[in-house]
Amino acid sequence: MTDTKTARDLLDMNTKMSRFEKFRRVLSEPNVDMRELRKLSWSGIPEELRPMAWQLLMGYLPCNSERREQTLARKRKEYAECVAQAFARGEAGLDQTIWHQIHIDVPRTHPHIQLYQQTATQEALERILYCWAIRHPASGYVQGINDLLTPFFQVFLSSYVSVDTDLEEFDIGELPEEVLTVIEADSFWCMTKLLDGIQDNYTHGQPGIQRQIGRLRELIGRIDAPLAQHLESESVEYIQFSFRWMNCLLMRELSLRNVVRMWDTYLAEESDGFSDFHVYVCAAFLIKWSATLRKMDFQDMITFLQSVPTATWTDRDVEMLLSEAFMWKTLFHNAPGHLAHRK
Amino acid sequence: MSMHGSSLEAKLVILGSQGVGKTSLVMRYVQNTFSPHSASTIGASFLTQRMQVFGVIRRGYVDDCRVVLQIWDTAGQERFRSMAPMYYRGANAAILVYDITSEQSFQDISSWVEELQRNTGDIDIHVVGSKLDLAEKSREVPQERAQAYVRNTLGSLHDVHEVSAKDATGVDELFHDVTRSLVERTYEIERTRRERQAGDVQLRDGRQEASDQACCNV
Repeated sequence: MTDTKTARDLLDMNTKMSRFEKFRRVLSEPNVDMRELRKLSWSGIPEELRPMAWQLLMGYLPCNSERREQTLARKRKEYAECVAQAFARGEAGLDQTIWHQIHIDVPRTHPHIQLYQQTATQEALERILYCWAIRHPASGYVQGINDLLTPFFQVFLSSYVSVDTDLEEFDIGELPEEVLTVIEADSFWCMTKLLDGIQDNYTHGQPGIQRQIGRLRELIGRIDAPLAQHLESESVEYIQFSFRWMNCLLMRELSLRNVVRMWDTYLAEESDGFSDFHVYVCAAFLIKWSATLRKMDFQDMITFLQSVPTATWTDRDVEMLLSEAFMWKTLFHNAPGHLAHRK
Repeated sequence: MSMHGSSLEAKLVILGSQGVGKTSLVMRYVQNTFSPHSASTIGASFLTQRMQVFGVIRRGYVDDCRVVLQIWDTAGQERFRSMAPMYYRGANAAILVYDITSEQSFQDISSWVEELQRNTGDIDIHVVGSKLDLAEKSREVPQERAQAYVRNTLGSLHDVHEVSAKDATGVDELFHDVTRSLVERTYEIERTRRERQAGDVQLRDGRQEASDQACCNV
């Protein structure tokens, strides 16, 4: 028994090491091959290399290594100037409506994770969200955007602490101020890039989300007709449970750790990971509970769907979900309804 | 709202500005818990609570009524406001929450009242001032003013409720009042309908029908 277990562990470790080696090789090229990086990242990025890989995949860090230092310096300076300008006259000089929304929302970000209850973290999040909001008047600050900032913040923070640190318990006061400034600036730019791709999720009427919900509904009708019928017969509206799935990219349904793993794949999915592919993930997520849901009435379904039991989920569960989503995408993407129905 | 003998199911919607404590209010009532920072509500969340209302007059008898409250706790941020009709349409009662330490949140109540009165038939509106535990330190909305507003707008039988989800002051009473009011209204509607039916029968038959006793007692 012990021997086979050890053998399996060894094999596991070997696979991990060889994956790590592959990543390291791709990332240390003077000109990173993005196609190769995407291909590798789809199945998950090793923790130590994630900050760099994410910044490349987000298009924040240039592929060309010679341009990196200069680009980062410029971007970080630009962010620092934005903060300095916005906060030049203290709180009194801020747009009070926007500031109020952000200021009361930030303490409500991951209320159960210690890292986000610390003043230094909260102030950093406030600055990032405020600067983003004033630069994007068409949407402004929308609740849920605070959630989307945190995977970046946490992943970039991981660069500056030892590997075995539990980030969720980390005392942010231990970081030198200039390091926090760098994490803050990088998080700002990467969040900005992410939101650029899904901006109509947060503009008036949230058309992006409405479209995604419609698409989810259509997909469930095709993939799991009995579930679709059951939801309809119990008068469950998709918007009642999936609005949050779209607005917060399933961040309220999964642990932050799970979300980080999920974003490896979203980032690897060319440009549509956080929009189109996400809908397939939501479809796979809903179908996962199909058998349970089909035994429930309206009340039980809505209650279940707003606290889906994912507390014990590991990377494996997330990877399974992503593979299922990929399968549905392969089958249904760009496939007109009448073809998909024909057998 | 549907009735099965002496039990009924009622839909309740909670509305109000961002951060006034809508979720805290509901969590105190349904789970008897409080956390100073709860994650913001996105869209709306759904909860149910069973309760019993004692001693309501129905058809001339004192009745105890079992109620299942279906509660939609909505998101407060302006951006989500366009979704609100989905939750208040079909609701039997609305709780409008403002924060007694925020004048702005109280100002926002009137637009909710107007919107509800414009878009719903006869929704039962209750106005609630939250965070009563902060009254001494940072009250901005005097109770008298809120009370005057409520009486002016909703009628002289209405009161503003001031509550604290943090120390549980007034929360159970609030939901009890709301539920009692729902039960009474349901019985009232039922009575009116029966009277009307009885009236129809009289007209059709041209002779006296025994009318229900209940009408005199409610």
